[in-house]
Amino acid sequence: MVLISLGIEGTAHSFGAGIVSDDGQVKSNVWDMLTPSEGGIHPREASRHHSELGPLIIQKSIANAGIVPNDIDIVSFSRGPGLGPCLRTTATMARTLALRLNVPLIGVNHCVAHIEIGCLDSGFRDPVTVYVSGGNTQTIAFSGGRFRTFGETLDIAIGNMLDSFGRDVGMRFPAGPKIEMASLDASTFYELPYSVKGMDLSYSGLLTAARRLYSEGVAVSDICYSIQETAFGMLAEVAERALAHTKKDEILLTGGVAKNNRLTNILEGVAERHDAKFHRVSPTLAGDQGAMIAWTGILQYNAGDQIPIPDSHVLPKWRTDEQEIIWRA
Amino acid sequence: MRLNWKLMTLGAESRILHGVWNNQELILKIRPSKSYLIDTIDSMLRRSRTSRESRMLTYARSLGIPTPCVHWLDLEQCSIVMDFIEGDSLKNLVANLREEKLRIFCRAFGKLIASLHNGDAVHGDPTTSNVIVDRTEKLWLIDFGLSERNATIEMKGTDLHLIYRALETTHWKQQEVMLQSIIEGYSSLVGPQSNLILERMRDIRERGRYH
Ligand SMILES: Nc1ncnc2c1ncn2[C@@H]1O[C@H](COP(=O)(O)OP(=O)(O)O)[C@@H](O)[C@H]1O
Ligand SMILES: [Mg+2]
Repeated sequence: MVLISLGIEGTAHSFGAGIVSDDGQVKSNVWDMLTPSEGGIHPREASRHHSELGPLIIQKSIANAGIVPNDIDIVSFSRGPGLGPCLRTTATMARTLALRLNVPLIGVNHCVAHIEIGCLDSGFRDPVTVYVSGGNTQTIAFSGGRFRTFGETLDIAIGNMLDSFGRDVGMRFPAGPKIEMASLDASTFYELPYSVKGMDLSYSGLLTAARRLYSEGVAVSDICYSIQETAFGMLAEVAERALAHTKKDEILLTGGVAKNNRLTNILEGVAERHDAKFHRVSPTLAGDQGAMIAWTGILQYNAGDQIPIPDSHVLPKWRTDEQEIIWRA
Repeated sequence: MRLNWKLMTLGAESRILHGVWNNQELILKIRPSKSYLIDTIDSMLRRSRTSRESRMLTYARSLGIPTPCVHWLDLEQCSIVMDFIEGDSLKNLVANLREEKLRIFCRAFGKLIASLHNGDAVHGDPTTSNVIVDRTEKLWLIDFGLSERNATIEMKGTDLHLIYRALETTHWKQQEVMLQSIIEGYSSLVGPQSNLILERMRDIRERGRYH
């Protein structure tokens, strides 16, 4: 008998539901992303999006998997970290479903889920994970029973930086892919602030300087190219430091920005230099979606981790290293 | 200098070679180029870090911080020849130290960082692998490639944040004892301003987080 997990993700502007079985098959994975308006994500707007579309997305994920609700053995949900209103809306749906189906509820850490689905996708056992998205920029590795953040951004996330610049120069959201395209037409590199602090990094100075170049009339393609080379170079450096420090031999690239080919190419270079393996998580599993929550829920459940409904309050500031990773111990 | 260098370790960004000249043990630290970066960034990084490192090794010593003496700087090859410091990194020692000894070393580490900060400089990568403890139990600071002068409160706070980060990723078992002793040593030399810097450290820690 296989175990069937429904995973519900809703930490930020995406809502997703996925069905995964304990033999590692992703049976369905449905999501919808709210396009953030000027100035980033509005938590209330996003949570309204989730409560309006959530039930439909969940229904669709069940139908696409070719199962009926009663086939679901566990309900897993993204418990944090993320935006409070979004997390609460998502948790309410998960609790209701778990009660109605009378099955266990599993609270999953969003960042941990990105790593675990990446491991399923790649077959990696113990990677240094480079997690890059609109809201996150982190290098994470397993050590002493927990996933520990070796480095992260000290200010804004890389995806946020790309989207902010893109918006300024009139690119539609998400700007990352458009910046990548534009950079192919570049002819000149302009120096931008390269800011690495230990294994942490910072992108706000780079964004300010890129905006200044734009206001001075520098070609957008040249700025895009310079942004990419600088921002990804910094990321490569902190990944390399994490790899050298932990002595691991796998690099996993995940999150929405993982789609970028130049970033992939640079990190492949890092891996090669250290005789490490490299994997970029498949596009459908790299962004925020339910399958990663469903799969991590299975790992937790099999290790005896489930959560009574009265204790299932959300954790907006849940740090990756706060959770004991009992299934890897 | 024509001499027989032997590879000792491969760092994240450097090759560390060991050699002997006139009965003196030396280290050759080379920053090789990285093919995955564009040339402009690659050579900018290698040169600026090599030059920073060599200048700061000397400046830090003028502040009373034990650092290897620089004998040769080559900004073409991006290499530095310096004294070899015989000992082990604090990182490797931590696990086998009794708590009392660990506290003594951590207080001393905190004081070295404090001396640097009092000289308005920051280390930039103050992890326990960049502290060498020699046979006489004296602590030496190395690896100044990310160091900076004219340090602000923000930069000093970041330096402390990086120490905190290194403890929680690498020395989680001894994290509390170590942090407490480092801060103790640090504050004893920095004085009242240390409160401001510690507060900034906590701010910085919260900032990058997703809320
Ligand atoms: N002067 C030195 N004396 C003794 N050991 C050294 C010296 N410089 C470097 N090392 C050893 O080499 C390692 C890497 O050197 P480091 O300067 O920290 O380079 P990286 O920037 O690659 O970390 C150190 O952790 C230390 O063990
Ligand atoms: Mg070092």
